[in-house]
Amino acid sequence: MKKKMNLIILIAVIAVMFVIIPQAGSPYLLNIITLMCLYMAMSQMWNLLGGYAGMLSLGMQAFIGIGGYSLTILSVNYGVNIYVAIIIGAVICALFGLAVSPAIFKMSGVYFAIGTWIIAEALNIFFSNWKFVGYAQDWSISTVFALSNKQLYYTALIVAVIAVLVVFGLLRTKTGLALMAIRDSASAAETMGVELYKTKLKCYVIACFMMGLIGGAQYMQTAYINPSTGFSINWTIAMTFAVIIGGLGTMEGPIVGSVLYVIIVQIMYNYPGMSNIVLGIIAIVVIMVAPDGIMGTLYKKTGFQILSPRRSIPKH
Amino acid sequence: MIQCIVTGILLGGLYSMIGIGMSLVFGIMGLTNLAHGDLMILGTYISLVMTRALGCNLIVSVIVSVIVMCVLGFVIQQFLVNKVMDKGEAPALLVTFGLSIFLSNLMLKIFSADNQSINNSLSSKNVVTTNVLSISASYLTSFIIACVIIIGLSLVMQKTNFGRAIRATSDDTMAAELMGVNTKLAYAAAMVICMGITAVAGTLVGSTFVFYPSSGTQYLIIAFGAVVIGGMGSLFGTLIGGIVLGVAQIVGGYVFGSGVQMLIAYIVLLVILALRPNGLFAASAVRK
Repeated sequence: MKKKMNLIILIAVIAVMFVIIPQAGSPYLLNIITLMCLYMAMSQMWNLLGGYAGMLSLGMQAFIGIGGYSLTILSVNYGVNIYVAIIIGAVICALFGLAVSPAIFKMSGVYFAIGTWIIAEALNIFFSNWKFVGYAQDWSISTVFALSNKQLYYTALIVAVIAVLVVFGLLRTKTGLALMAIRDSASAAETMGVELYKTKLKCYVIACFMMGLIGGAQYMQTAYINPSTGFSINWTIAMTFAVIIGGLGTMEGPIVGSVLYVIIVQIMYNYPGMSNIVLGIIAIVVIMVAPDGIMGTLYKKTGFQILSPRRSIPKH
Repeated sequence: MIQCIVTGILLGGLYSMIGIGMSLVFGIMGLTNLAHGDLMILGTYISLVMTRALGCNLIVSVIVSVIVMCVLGFVIQQFLVNKVMDKGEAPALLVTFGLSIFLSNLMLKIFSADNQSINNSLSSKNVVTTNVLSISASYLTSFIIACVIIIGLSLVMQKTNFGRAIRATSDDTMAAELMGVNTKLAYAAAMVICMGITAVAGTLVGSTFVFYPSSGTQYLIIAFGAVVIGGMGSLFGTLIGGIVLGVAQIVGGYVFGSGVQMLIAYIVLLVILALRPNGLFAASAVRK
């Protein structure tokens, strides 16, 4: 009962905050909150794969890039409505994920991590040599120039809310139970009748679809795209970092982590080239000192958690 | 075409040398070092600084680079990797990922994003020049060094007590410990050897190709490719893996244009991974 009240209060506070900020905040603040929303969505999806399904992917930037390029090609070249273009992009991502899955699902652990990375690098080279997208040059997305900051913000917010709800909902279904069983012990789960391949595939395709959506929303904001930034490993660095410091395999972790990530990057903005160095050090220290991340450690110490799907044992 | 295949094979020698360290570390401690590429480029920059700023000749620079990298390898193993090894696969992997981010951006900060290359007398010379075939001296040198290192390393692994201790650790850590092997030290030794070879590979890469701080990613994938095609942990497999990649790249470049040559190599790698997830020589895997 107390847990439910906590949840309701938290959601109310957050909802009020997110409505008030765009009314009162400066454009700078709005921009930062928009970024937080986008990274929140990304890291939530990365966590679904890495934290729950046991698929550490270093290649999710492939889908950010495809999402961004779909938005660009469809809206600039063919005059498709921006939002429709983003959704089509997400569908393309899901199909692409489905298409490569037979190959990469044969790999596990490290092989999977690097296999996905190679796909992203291969896409980078492919787009850099593709005449239709202007090779490796910047391509400005002129259709999004007219959008106001608030529109960008609400798009990012909606994407973030969808991402959180998807994971929140998914973990409460039978698939979610299967996922957590896989996270705790893949072989035990399989013995108990969990279909590993199907469950993982479901998660992977969902994550690909969402990454496409996020990629589109991200490039609405950036307003120009090129292969080396679209398929950059930096996206994965951001997601991984947010999840590691927040807490791998928790729902709150990616949220806390991505807020911290954006704050650190903003602070480091004045010291060009330093932010990834600092992020690398922080990530190493966190893994060595508190491998469960902030929220995981907090849960172990105090039992604090809000969004967790863990079913508490009724006390008598 | 013959030219392409010969160049590809020689290039493969260089690739397998990049991969050897990774294969060794994986075979012995089951760790995939995601910072491998960046560490190699660091070795390349050390050689570059030695030759350019201090005016040393290439041999001296390689020696300095090897020493520095060996020390660094020991430090990384002792103070980072050994601490997270027993926490499972994910933490160890992510620590090396953090290290990779740190190193590549540190190099970017220090050396800027400019293209660099190590000047040497070999890079422009050809050993054989006929109508159908010309063999570049630097490619041939890399290939020979790679073969020597691989043969030398397998001899050390098979014939010496030191090699036996390392192999015992890789087979069964606890049993090795009970037999009086200091396993953490065996890990550190493996990492030191890996870093030494990688420094040599880095210098050869630097004197053959242009490089920049973010080249690490590309070479990590190449190293990984050479290792997995051959089967993780198999030294001769790595040599074959490197050659497969090298030939795929050069022949792919010849057929489809040089812009996409790496794309062809990546696709070959992905196809092999999908068909034989444990590599071509997996049956004979671990320690050879």
